[in-house]
Amino acid sequence: MASIKINSLAKTYDNGFQALQCLSLDIDPGSFTVILGPSGAGKSTLLRTINGLETATSGTVCVSNLQVNKQNLKSIREHVAMVFQQFNLVSRLSVMTNVLTGRLAKRHSLLSLLYLFPKEDYAIALKALERVGLEEKVWHRADKLSGGQQQRVGIARALAQEPLAIIADEPVASLDPRSSKEVLTLLRDICREMNITVVASLHQVDFAREYADRIIGMNAGRIVFDGPPSAFTSSQEISLYQHETMEVKEDAKMALAYA
Amino acid sequence: MQKWHWPTPNGLPPFHISIVVICSILLLALSASMVEISYNRIVNGWRPMVDFLGHLLVTPDWSYLGQLGAKMLETVEMTVLATAIATIVSVPVGILAAENASPHPFVYRIMREVLSFARALPELVWALVFVSAVGLGPLPGVMALAFVTVGFMAKFIAESIEVVGKGAVEGIQSTGGGRLQTIMFAIMPQALPDFAGTLLYILDHNLRAAAILGLVGAGGIGYDMVISMRMFEYDRIIMIAISIYLIVTLLDRLSDKLRKRIIHGKVNVIR
Repeated sequence: MASIKINSLAKTYDNGFQALQCLSLDIDPGSFTVILGPSGAGKSTLLRTINGLETATSGTVCVSNLQVNKQNLKSIREHVAMVFQQFNLVSRLSVMTNVLTGRLAKRHSLLSLLYLFPKEDYAIALKALERVGLEEKVWHRADKLSGGQQQRVGIARALAQEPLAIIADEPVASLDPRSSKEVLTLLRDICREMNITVVASLHQVDFAREYADRIIGMNAGRIVFDGPPSAFTSSQEISLYQHETMEVKEDAKMALAYA
Repeated sequence: MQKWHWPTPNGLPPFHISIVVICSILLLALSASMVEISYNRIVNGWRPMVDFLGHLLVTPDWSYLGQLGAKMLETVEMTVLATAIATIVSVPVGILAAENASPHPFVYRIMREVLSFARALPELVWALVFVSAVGLGPLPGVMALAFVTVGFMAKFIAESIEVVGKGAVEGIQSTGGGRLQTIMFAIMPQALPDFAGTLLYILDHNLRAAAILGLVGAGGIGYDMVISMRMFEYDRIIMIAISIYLIVTLLDRLSDKLRKRIIHGKVNVIR
């Protein structure tokens, strides 16, 4: 269980693109937060900054009062697990080995480089696989599984970290509706039962309404909506996603005016 | 009449591609006359060629079989030993020479320069160098082979590391895995089928290289081959040629089978 405190976070990429503009956000421990917003709004950048996969240009991120920076990177990543859109499994390794990699941060010894893990880790990995319902697939190669199953392996890897928080960057964007529901239900149940803080970005507004405790709407690197699902009305939805097309329309009007 | 177009905005072939093609053709035409490729010499060459091949139609010198076996075995041993040594050196060197796994861009550059130095001269030249250093025999041959092989193999390994997808690497990094753990758990398993392909190809190449190292006294069948050529011992040349052909073919078949199994995941070195 971890609180996440984000203070005046800004990120400008090397090519000059401003992904985040002075963004502040507090996430309660044990909550399920969904981030919505059009592509390019900065959702991924925000989420990846919490795990240290991106480095902020300015501002701070703290997880359970531990600030994310170069010195703390390992301990942050040990406690903040990531779930990715493309699963980011090692496709040629078995399901078990993939889940065991969730233990790497706690195993610094040379033995881990020889692919040796203590019995305790196998028990943890197996428990995680049972939790996601893949105990039958333990020794299958990761890339032989379906998309939904691979994402569940990704979640099992996160669970093997025994994390305080799970950050899910569009976890269901490459899955069919049924697998999407399974994965989101799994994430919500993990959040409830194990008191793990979950922050996920989604593109499906209906899923956000169904699963989230709190919805954050993002656009152009800023928070434009923050509230419970009941407050996220359909007019809110339209304004969140229409921003870009409005601009295009205005551009067209301007072009006409000059013509 | 239908009008044909290339898939470009103006329907003409892309400018830079046209330039490259035209330049290549000009260059080829120019260099062909420089190295004296003459139609006459090629056409009139068939007679001596047939003469030479005719000499090969002789009864093999069976008494030579024992020495042939020993020398071929030595050649294969040199190949395997040099490739094994080179592999052990090439994996860490390859990691240092891969842009995405090297600890520092400076290390990466230095490694690349060292490797291209090792590749710059053929095995035969390095064998001459090592023969003058340690004397005649298979030892300088193995040294020369291993040295040049590191140059190639580490470069190939570095390149297969560089094409490993970012996904697996990020997956391991996100769990808090360290640099070496990321190499062992994300890069190695993903690059392994490529490594295996490289290893088999190099084994094949080294066998052929080892077969001629004897030319400069660096062990293997090459010495016998050169002596028999000079002494016009066609009954031995034919035996040497056939045995090299057989071993190269055997290795080729084996490596084809093995490579397919590895790529299709039937053989898993790491699971």
